Amino acid sequence: MNSGPRSARRLASQAGYWPVKETRCRSCHEPTFSILRHAYSAAAASTPTAAEPQAPPSPTSTTDPTAPVTQRPLPKEYAVRAGVVLSRAPLITRDLHDFEKAFFLYQRRLNERLAMPFTTNFYFKRGTPAHLDWKRKARERLTPAHDVGRYTPYGEEGWNDEVLVGAKESEPDAQVEALVREAEDTKLDGEGEGQEAKKKVVVERPQPRVTEADRQGNTRSLNRQLQRTLYLMVKNEEGEWKFPERRMFRAESLREAAEHILGEAAGIDMNTWFLGNHPIGHYERKYKESFYNAHRQSEELGEKTFYMKTRIMAGQANLQGNKLGLSDFQWLSKDEIEQTVPRWYWKAVRNMLPDR
Amino acid sequence: MALREFCSRMGASLSQDARSLSLRPAWPAQQQCRRLATTAADPDIETEASLNSTGPDEELVKNYDPIARARSRRRQLPSSRYKFRSPRYYRGPLHPHQPPPPTDPSSREFVPGPFSLPRLEQTWESTIAPDLLTLNYQHAPPGMEIVAKARGLRPWVGDNPYFKNRVPRPPRGGMFLPARKPITFRNVPRLREITVHSMVGQAMEDSGYLHVAGMAVQAITNKRAQVHEAKESVQNWGVKKGRPVSVTVDLQGEDMYHFLAKVVEVVFPRIRDFKGIKGTSGDSYGNITFGLTPEEVAMFPEIEVNYDMYPAKMIPGAHVTIKTSAVTDRDARMLLRSMGVPFYGKLVD
Repeated sequence: MNSGPRSARRLASQAGYWPVKETRCRSCHEPTFSILRHAYSAAAASTPTAAEPQAPPSPTSTTDPTAPVTQRPLPKEYAVRAGVVLSRAPLITRDLHDFEKAFFLYQRRLNERLAMPFTTNFYFKRGTPAHLDWKRKARERLTPAHDVGRYTPYGEEGWNDEVLVGAKESEPDAQVEALVREAEDTKLDGEGEGQEAKKKVVVERPQPRVTEADRQGNTRSLNRQLQRTLYLMVKNEEGEWKFPERRMFRAESLREAAEHILGEAAGIDMNTWFLGNHPIGHYERKYKESFYNAHRQSEELGEKTFYMKTRIMAGQANLQGNKLGLSDFQWLSKDEIEQTVPRWYWKAVRNMLPDR
Repeated sequence: MALREFCSRMGASLSQDARSLSLRPAWPAQQQCRRLATTAADPDIETEASLNSTGPDEELVKNYDPIARARSRRRQLPSSRYKFRSPRYYRGPLHPHQPPPPTDPSSREFVPGPFSLPRLEQTWESTIAPDLLTLNYQHAPPGMEIVAKARGLRPWVGDNPYFKNRVPRPPRGGMFLPARKPITFRNVPRLREITVHSMVGQAMEDSGYLHVAGMAVQAITNKRAQVHEAKESVQNWGVKKGRPVSVTVDLQGEDMYHFLAKVVEVVFPRIRDFKGIKGTSGDSYGNITFGLTPEEVAMFPEIEVNYDMYPAKMIPGAHVTIKTSAVTDRDARMLLRSMGVPFYGKLVD
């Protein structure tokens, strides 16, 4: 997305701040770049002339006072890791707070008191069955509005617009139920009460907001917690629940690494959308003891993990034959993640997850 | 603790003295003793938060009937003459009878609402805004600053040596195009307002057209339409200056979200061979306009439900202007796309 003229590297290079070709991050680049190169060149220069077999340099040997003076200290580095925050967006609106429900009902009733009368003649032709049906129902509920309960806005007792303790009028479920009951009560065919020729109208009720997976506590289903954003959490070899993540290889960019990780961890049975090329969050962790990385010939102090954001559009995670040694997965909301992951991990990742 | 006790005793003794003198202490001693977060709250003041307090007891709740209570009253309450009424006219800030603020239900300007929490607004908050933020993130290394330049400025080109470093010329046509600042969590693009506008040329001969247009626009937007007169006479269109020709409605907040959701989810899918909105639409300030033909206006569910009541061939077309908080059309289009509005053709940013 931002790899064009507006990218950070371009900006920095224009200011003479950063060499364009450099592919390492700035913090790695500045303090250790020259040292690293010297270490390599020193090693390359010393290899053909050295008679004695070369012992692998270790961080302890660099601080050892008895070590030869010519040996350069090892470059100190952090392991760069990439992770994927794969999320399913909320599918339905959230439950309203009790205060919101009460407030909305109160405002609707106020509106009934203040609004102009409903122009019945504009919506129903006089004398038609629809008109008669409307009049009958409006008489029952005392007001043209369907979602304010039984309430007389214009009468002597219009001031009584506040519901009593425990009343159900402000509950959305009760309002839907009243609407459905009213719709099923339609008598368009025969207006007479004696005629039972009218057809029974069956109105489809809205789908439940709590699903089967919610009731069973099936955290692997994507059909749970419809009001919340769900995140894919996996159980790694150490038995910790985390986002899918692993160390990055040198040849891949962060975005590529994230795409690879998702394939390696949860399979290819998902339609996903990676949002941009930038990470949404990162954390740094220092190891208790640094160790020697033979591959990079460096002393590794800790790890830095960068998370890429992804949305799942279709499909489901499949851990069969994954390359990261994962044993289980769950789709969890933010609150559930807090309960599941280690404390330090929660503190590291909580700020990149939206509240809902 | 000792300090707090001292304070309360001081306060008590002071107030006693004051009572005996029938005077009130100008500075209550309690106020000067600030409670620290580590010290316990004074039980006399903060016994329990009102949210945590238990409600009225069950007996009272069961027997409470406001209507019966009002009817059983022997003597009526004072009539409305003794109640506060908002003045009909505003007589200036120095008049003793001041109107209440418009948010007060007793105000004459009070408009009730909101009545719901729109689905589109919730989607924006939970999904669209975080995604736009991620997509538009622009990284500045520490110490770097992203300079937002005003758009459309023209540099001085020529052999004149004084052109160097000269302040660039403004855009052609006297426009001022504000700089596009990097999108952060503070300025994620969002909907600001939607204007529905319907101009009816036939209203010059028959005012009935304007009445129908007003009713149709009111029906689809849930707000009273405002009538506008022609500013100029236009010979070709038969428009005469000063005669009413159009109706508009400005939608904000709840109505705006409901209207856009209706357009995107009900009207657009019904339009035959619908390609989307033209990519060239937009005023380069982040506001995007599209048109609806009379047939498309008739597809709104509010009009469809009593389509027969509108006179045939009098249902108007409409222009819909979506105003966003984005500064460029590109950002506005990105916002609308994420809300389900498709665009086609060449995109002009």
